Amino acid sequence: MVKDGAQSKKKPNKNSDFDASGDIYKKAVSFEEKEATQRSAEKDAGLYLQTCSDIRQLLADIYKEKCEEKENKSLIMLKRKEACLKIVLLKKLNRLEKVRMSMAREQLNQEKQKLDSINLQFQNLLYELAHLCSEFEKCRQYKSKDEDIQLISTEEFLKVAPEEVVGKFTEVQTADNNLRHELHLAMLEHELQQRIKLSKLCDTLDNEKRLLGKDIVNRKEKLDALGPTLSNIIEATKPLQELLGLPLEKTRNEHKMASLLPDELYLLYYNGEGYKVIDSRIAIEIVGDQEEAQQFNASRLNIVEDSDADSLEEPEPMEGKKRRHRKASLIDKMEEKKRKILEPHPLSIEITMDVPNGGPQLKIKFLYRVQLKIITVTSNVEIPSKITGNCAKEVLSGEGILNEIFDGDTGKESPNSKNQYQLDKVNLGTFESLIQKIGFAYGWAHKLCGLEFMKKPGCKLTNKVSPSYVESVLRSLRSRLDARYALAEQLQQLEQNFIPMIPSEVEHPKTATSVLTKFAPMSFARFCTETPNSVKLVEEEMASANDLFYSATVIRHKSILSASIVIKNTYPIRAPLFLLTVKSNGDHSATNSDDIRDMERALNLGWQTDEKSAGWLLAVQLRYLCSFFDVYLESVESSSITASGATPTQSTVFFRSVCARNRRRPFKYRKVGNGVFTQY
Amino acid sequence: MKTMADKNYYNTILSQVFSPCGKYLIVGDIYGYISVFNLQKVVCPESSTNAEDRKAKNVFMVQADIQINSLLAADNLIVGTVGEILAFNWQHIINSADAKAIWRIEIPNTKDNFEKVDINCMVQAQSGDIYVGCGDNSIRIVNIESGSIVNTLNGHKDYVHSIANIGNELISGGEDGLVNMWDIRSKTLVHSIEPHKNVKLQRPELGNWIGAVALNDDWLLCGGGPRLSLWHFRSMNVSTVFPLDDKGIHVAEFFEDSILAGGRSNYFYNLNLDGTVVSEIQTSSVSIFSAIHQEEPYKALCLSGSSPHIDICNNYNYRDQILTVSI
Repeated sequence: MVKDGAQSKKKPNKNSDFDASGDIYKKAVSFEEKEATQRSAEKDAGLYLQTCSDIRQLLADIYKEKCEEKENKSLIMLKRKEACLKIVLLKKLNRLEKVRMSMAREQLNQEKQKLDSINLQFQNLLYELAHLCSEFEKCRQYKSKDEDIQLISTEEFLKVAPEEVVGKFTEVQTADNNLRHELHLAMLEHELQQRIKLSKLCDTLDNEKRLLGKDIVNRKEKLDALGPTLSNIIEATKPLQELLGLPLEKTRNEHKMASLLPDELYLLYYNGEGYKVIDSRIAIEIVGDQEEAQQFNASRLNIVEDSDADSLEEPEPMEGKKRRHRKASLIDKMEEKKRKILEPHPLSIEITMDVPNGGPQLKIKFLYRVQLKIITVTSNVEIPSKITGNCAKEVLSGEGILNEIFDGDTGKESPNSKNQYQLDKVNLGTFESLIQKIGFAYGWAHKLCGLEFMKKPGCKLTNKVSPSYVESVLRSLRSRLDARYALAEQLQQLEQNFIPMIPSEVEHPKTATSVLTKFAPMSFARFCTETPNSVKLVEEEMASANDLFYSATVIRHKSILSASIVIKNTYPIRAPLFLLTVKSNGDHSATNSDDIRDMERALNLGWQTDEKSAGWLLAVQLRYLCSFFDVYLESVESSSITASGATPTQSTVFFRSVCARNRRRPFKYRKVGNGVFTQY
Repeated sequence: MKTMADKNYYNTILSQVFSPCGKYLIVGDIYGYISVFNLQKVVCPESSTNAEDRKAKNVFMVQADIQINSLLAADNLIVGTVGEILAFNWQHIINSADAKAIWRIEIPNTKDNFEKVDINCMVQAQSGDIYVGCGDNSIRIVNIESGSIVNTLNGHKDYVHSIANIGNELISGGEDGLVNMWDIRSKTLVHSIEPHKNVKLQRPELGNWIGAVALNDDWLLCGGGPRLSLWHFRSMNVSTVFPLDDKGIHVAEFFEDSILAGGRSNYFYNLNLDGTVVSEIQTSSVSIFSAIHQEEPYKALCLSGSSPHIDICNNYNYRDQILTVSI
């Protein structure tokens, strides 16, 4: 068979060699390749194993033959041929196997390549997947700008937006994402429209603003230009103002000055100006140099800062030598300090009050003592020329008018308790000793200026209704001035022993036989020594050193009545007090005679007076005094037997000279007919 | 307020009386006010006498500016003013600042219709009737219960200053200088003397008026313009002329075996019947118009007059304390 095979094989081979004229080898190779593919490998393997075993058999046969002594050479030759043939077959099989092997290898390679490309494709796909996934992620995390835009709420949007936009969203809250998105878009669109609208509005407004700004600048320029023009005009009108006597400029200057006043005086100025509405006869003026005040105010600020350091330096003990050396300058320093401590603010306020119809003019000057922190008051009165009498003039002295405007307020003590220490430090003595130099420190002046100090223990002033209002103080000043002037007018006539005329509406006895022969002022010391019971009166506070004292003498025939008159500063609210002594058979006074006591009582008590009574009260009292003296003499003499036995001519009318157990005299005047005196 | 101080300064206290219990001193002044003082607080040494206690416990006005001439302690406080006798409940006057009269009797003026009558003095007789010395020269007998004037005694030519009564004897002294003796039963004028006609007694410069009369069983005491004098009641002879330094007697009274007397003088006197002075008490007033005294429950002699002050003497010898009326 193999032979067949091998023969058959050879034939095509030979044929192909023959066909392919040139390349026989290639034909052989392609034949071999064909053969290898067509033949089954398993069969070839079986053939191979068969061949191998045949060879072995042959060899073994040969061997056997050889080993036998008779050697069959032919047979051996045959056998050899056969074995060689078998080997050729083996070779053929091997060749086939080799071709088959390379073919399989080639195929394997091809398959391997295919697999690799597929693998690669997969790898690519995987990579693409990951990439896409990350892209997704990126997309998911993407932040849209619209999220930052504040939108109106959905409900509001639905209400506000035009119908055609809203239409499809009426059934809101559908879970449909698309619809929701569309809604959102619609809202954004709406917002955009709104913003565009607003931005347009903003632009127009901006434009308007710019225009207005320009306008304002224009007008400002015009106004600025107006200022100098106006001041020019004012300057130009000055001569006219002066000519017409208009105080316009002056008022303006005053107000400018007012700003330089210390706070205390400013308050006074401010309130005083206001009070002018009520009392137009009052004038308030700022006195002093404006520039000086400016400098002073500026320097004062510095001093305030330095003062602490100063006070620390002062008590430092000095070496003996140095002291002597610096003695002279020390004295100067002391003088300087004294001057400094009393120094007033350069600006002061002057209040001027006058009484109409040629009456006196009262000028009150308020000075602020910067270091002492108190107000001192100096005053000056222009006494009208018709007042010539001494006591009348005295009554109108500024000091007299201002004394005890309120009870006990003499202004002789500083209300600031620190002052005495300040003064002691520079050896200035008591405050009272400085009054002549710096003026009085009235309590009311401090209240006017808003200064409140600790009250002195037992000080009566503060027990009264505190007149903390400017009005009440100024009104008191005014009524005091009026009262004093009225009093002065009366005193003026009284000094000439003439009892002033009394208005007819005031009831008073018209005729009196007794006459006023003397009216003179009197000192407090003389009052104390000459007036009976004066100690008691002072004790009872019915008279004090602050009051005014006068003596009057009334005479009828040989009977003399002398009266000490105490006029309180509160005249006429408190009627003058008459203290009487009758000289007839010894001194009779209220201390030893009920009759005199009754007379004093009738004279001093029961006056229903107010401010309007000032003009006549003293005169009326003196009229009464004369009549009462008549009554006294006539009633006493009619009820007792006079030594001479002659009853005096009766000029007064009374029904009973005495009545009741106290033998009361008729010291009550009744306007019946020409006037009647009764007991009750 | 200050004028009130002046007014106070010129006050005069014309009459005083102790309350029936003796604990209160009631005084009436010329401004128509009655002030009540608590004597216990004033007199008792053991109780602290601070300034507050010395002020009047109660002050009330009877009538403005009508002087309270006389006071009398009876069942009620009887007040003699001008033209009227008023009665006040004791409790009211001690406690109430606006005490009101529980009854009032108007005394008509028989002499002059224009002027009202001063009720200068009041004395309660044993019968309970009140004898009133009036400003219209008469003595009225008033029955308290009926509130009517029972009788009128006429005999003075001027107003009556003072009356005194013992038993059926009533004497009165007047501005006219007469001392009249009356019989209460017959309501008639029995006798009358004129001390100013006695040379030893007369003081013409002071006038004839009799400011005070007093009476005991044997003696009659009177004084005024004329000097204070003791008269024997039966014989009507001057027994003693008291040498006092005075300008008129307004108070005279028998006290135990001695005499209390005062008037316009610096002193109030305690005298023996023979004229010797037992004690002189300095006074705060120009004239003393009223002196009253009691032993129980608080021993005190109270003097008042033309001043707002009342002098209190515990032992009749010197002034212990001074009370002040303030209205």
